[in-house]
Amino acid sequence: MNRGPLIRKILVYAVYVLLIASFQVTFPKVISFGGQVADLMLVFTVLAGYLFGFKDGAVIGIAMGILRDYYASPPITGIDGKPVVTCAIGLLVLFLAGTVGASFFTVKMNRNVLFAFAAVAFLTLCYKIAGHLAFFLWHRLALGTTYNLTFGDIILHSILPQLLLNLVAAVPLILLLKFAGPYKKGINTALIDEEKGGEQLWLTI
Amino acid sequence: MRGLLRKKWLIILIGALILIAAVVFGAFPGSPLNKTLKPVGGIAAPIQRVVKSAGNTLSDFWAAITDGIAIRNENEELRAEIAELQYQLTQSEEALIRYEELQDAFHIRDTFSNYDIYGASVLSREADEWFSVIRIALGNTDGIMLEAGDSYAVVDVRMNLIGRVIEIDTNESKILPLTHEGFVVSGKVNAVNGAGVTITGDASLKNDGLCLVTGIDPDVILEEGTEIVTSGDGGLFPQGIPIGTIESVDYSDPLNITATLRPYTDIADLNDVFVMVPFSVIEEQTELRESGNLTPTYESEVSEESGS
Repeated sequence: MNRGPLIRKILVYAVYVLLIASFQVTFPKVISFGGQVADLMLVFTVLAGYLFGFKDGAVIGIAMGILRDYYASPPITGIDGKPVVTCAIGLLVLFLAGTVGASFFTVKMNRNVLFAFAAVAFLTLCYKIAGHLAFFLWHRLALGTTYNLTFGDIILHSILPQLLLNLVAAVPLILLLKFAGPYKKGINTALIDEEKGGEQLWLTI
Repeated sequence: MRGLLRKKWLIILIGALILIAAVVFGAFPGSPLNKTLKPVGGIAAPIQRVVKSAGNTLSDFWAAITDGIAIRNENEELRAEIAELQYQLTQSEEALIRYEELQDAFHIRDTFSNYDIYGASVLSREADEWFSVIRIALGNTDGIMLEAGDSYAVVDVRMNLIGRVIEIDTNESKILPLTHEGFVVSGKVNAVNGAGVTITGDASLKNDGLCLVTGIDPDVILEEGTEIVTSGDGGLFPQGIPIGTIESVDYSDPLNITATLRPYTDIADLNDVFVMVPFSVIEEQTELRESGNLTPTYESEVSEESGS
């Protein structure tokens, strides 16, 4: 890649990552509904991966994950009953979101803007289900306590509002990435060459 | 090797395994991994302050446009209120002099007179239902430290409980909010010899901004609207900090009566908070600092029982 486009890519990504992460933790009330906050960090990471490929997804996932852990790391109740501030859960979640998002439905069809919504919905579902499952198992198996959320609570008060908010948040973020994003004309040309050359199609759907 | 690195699934797997190991290792008390994110603050913290400032300016500008008429009406009402308050102030000044005389005579102490109050602005709030630590602009450089086993109550401008400090860094602290499931505090009904209860965060109530009340004596009748304050049991939080009011009570199981509590404070609306540090702790830390035995950073290791 030439130096100019590379610098543009780095700068644009850096600005968006810092602004989006800061906005989410500074004004969560503005983007909340039904007790949930639109997860701009997750949506941006998934979209960067889906629209611009695996490397972008992984790097943005790592950068966004570090900021998520720095700004609002999740406190979990340790085995000894003491609340502990963790340090890499955000990094893990967003790295996986970026890399899996980059491989979503990219085998049989081109990276399609409409399918970007499906990628956001799919990874939001995965995140919420995995999160609740992890907390359920942690409470049940490690702490020996009950996880008080019922299945209905999880669906109605956690997953559905989050899904709705993330899909709505995806609209401006897709526009941002396509029309004022890290690549000219919103297309990562290196990705096209790579996929034409027979990229490892590991996720066959 | 290059061939292996081209396999995405392998990169994802290796990355995930490394990060899971980091999560597990980081969960151990005093893990050095928890300090690795500190340098990020060099870039992230100033940018977040700029975003916060820009957002507030925008919000103020918008409010200035939309609230003009309302402000004018309110201004007139406030002028009338000021006149009324000035009269009351004159009365109160006299009462205050009499109270101070009585206070000296009967050795009455103010409720929180043993605590120093540190003000701080809220830097960031929860990112979602799980990433819920709140950061505030108060750190070691402000002269506040946290020793193992200690924790400090965090209150709002009306002295209502918000949460407690769980970690203090150089320039900022992390707060465990009242609604988080790891939060436990002993409370009591705000009355003379009021019944004791335990207030905890609860996963199912958190999204509605509520807390769970347990440990209710079967002989006690809790009514909707009953005020709950901290009981002071455990010694970490002073007695009498308002927490919230009872919203509903479930008497279906006489052996396990539970209630829901609506905290007075909505964390989403907060801009400034106050940390209550006992004078005894400050004196102790000052002595240790002077003798050179106090290192600048501590992490709290507070048990659930001592969270009260």
